[in-house]
Amino acid sequence: MNRRVLSLFLIIGAAALASGCVSLGVKPWQRDLLSRQDMQLNGNVLDDAIDDHLYFSKEASSGGRSFAGGGCGCN
Amino acid sequence: MKRDEGGVRRRLIAASCALLSASAGRTEEAPNTGVQRALTDWSLDSALAYYHEDGRVQAVEPVVSVSKAYGDGASIGLNLTFDALSGASPNGASPSSTPQTFASPSGKSLTGGKHSYTTAPGDLPEDPHYSDLRAALGVDWTLPLERLLTAGFGAKLSYEDDFYSGSVNASIARDFNQKNTTVSFGASYEADSLHPIGGTPVPLSSYALFEKTGNQSKDGAGLLLNLTQVMSRNWLSEVSLSLDRFTGYLNDPYKIISVIDASGDVRGYIYENRPDSRTRRSVYLDNRVAWERSSTGLSLRYMTDDWGIHSETAQLHLRWWTAERDKYVQPTLRWYRQSAASFYSPWLFDSTAPQLSTASSDSRLAALQALTYGLKYGIKLRDKLGRESSEFNVRIEYYQQTQENRLPGPGTLRGLDLYPDLKAILVQIGFSY
Repeated sequence: MNRRVLSLFLIIGAAALASGCVSLGVKPWQRDLLSRQDMQLNGNVLDDAIDDHLYFSKEASSGGRSFAGGGCGCN
Repeated sequence: MKRDEGGVRRRLIAASCALLSASAGRTEEAPNTGVQRALTDWSLDSALAYYHEDGRVQAVEPVVSVSKAYGDGASIGLNLTFDALSGASPNGASPSSTPQTFASPSGKSLTGGKHSYTTAPGDLPEDPHYSDLRAALGVDWTLPLERLLTAGFGAKLSYEDDFYSGSVNASIARDFNQKNTTVSFGASYEADSLHPIGGTPVPLSSYALFEKTGNQSKDGAGLLLNLTQVMSRNWLSEVSLSLDRFTGYLNDPYKIISVIDASGDVRGYIYENRPDSRTRRSVYLDNRVAWERSSTGLSLRYMTDDWGIHSETAQLHLRWWTAERDKYVQPTLRWYRQSAASFYSPWLFDSTAPQLSTASSDSRLAALQALTYGLKYGIKLRDKLGRESSEFNVRIEYYQQTQENRLPGPGTLRGLDLYPDLKAILVQIGFSY
């Protein structure tokens, strides 16, 4: 039952998100701030990689924003 | 994992500094030769990180990433990472009120001279000879298929003394709504081979018997669904759902567990054993907001797996630019909390240990909380024509991890610091061109 309710919420949520996305956004000439390096979601690849390696070897969770490796688990 | 190789670490630092200074030198000259003209289409990102844990391991990690963007939207990237790790690493056993003697993984007995070490009463047992080298090479390729459709491919190889890993991934992304909405879907596969120093211990076998077997393997596959949405002129949002499953040998071959009696005295040690599969699910949300001279990012992640671990992560950063936009400062705060794996226990009692099929005292599988405080400072450098051409930055982070739900020690363990905090510092210099 819980699973059905969760599925229903997910479907409604996805539909709301999809319809909401259409009304969001900017015109191509309004992307000045969005094109800045500090607004890129993968703009600090090396910082993220070094941090992810640190957290991967000290905590039980990894990944989320990108594919997570299984690693050796022996550090 | 083998004896300390300080020479290798020094050579890595020297090579990294040479690379950082060589790439910095390029900005001084106009691209007047064929090679230099070819290089102007490439961008380079390099960093040298030094990591130091209070009383435990330290690591030096140089990373270089080069990428080239083509006019048609295609791009290719190459990433090279080295790691030299050395110092003391917890072996999984609990502190005790009496001295404890252990053998390094390559040891054949507990009286093996240079292969053995003794931990003082009350101290957390740590192998003082821990050392590892890692080299990893990654390639990424992005290819536009149509005006709104892009494919991505990636591959990575990683080598350590006792661990080889290879992975591939592929994804496809579609833009909608005047490129304000992007949906991508990807899949990955990873195959790992483990060659523990001294052999793979028989799971749950007595530590004193040195029962070892051959090499092991594990493999994993993952799926990633991502939605990126431009919310407004200065607000970008991203949500990702991920699912991955790893099967095979998932133990840490170097971790043991103390077996104690009701009065807290050590009766022996056994090697850990984890389930042979793990399925993880996560939701990740990232938001970026920009203003004229500042920007901020807030990311949240919830992850859960079938080992009973649930974790929440929140990370916030703020960046302020100077009026000339040639320097910035960026403080970061990260908070992390996880619950314990269902088979985690800091020690086992001799009365119940024989009935267990899985057990681990690895503190990374315990309930814990961690905080990271970070600060980054960057300077944009300009070429002779006054264009922004490169960046030099320095970053420092302080990490503190504290265990939660601490089980009180029985008998002689009472009063001992059984769950010492983990404190670490990371210093990094970076150069991008």
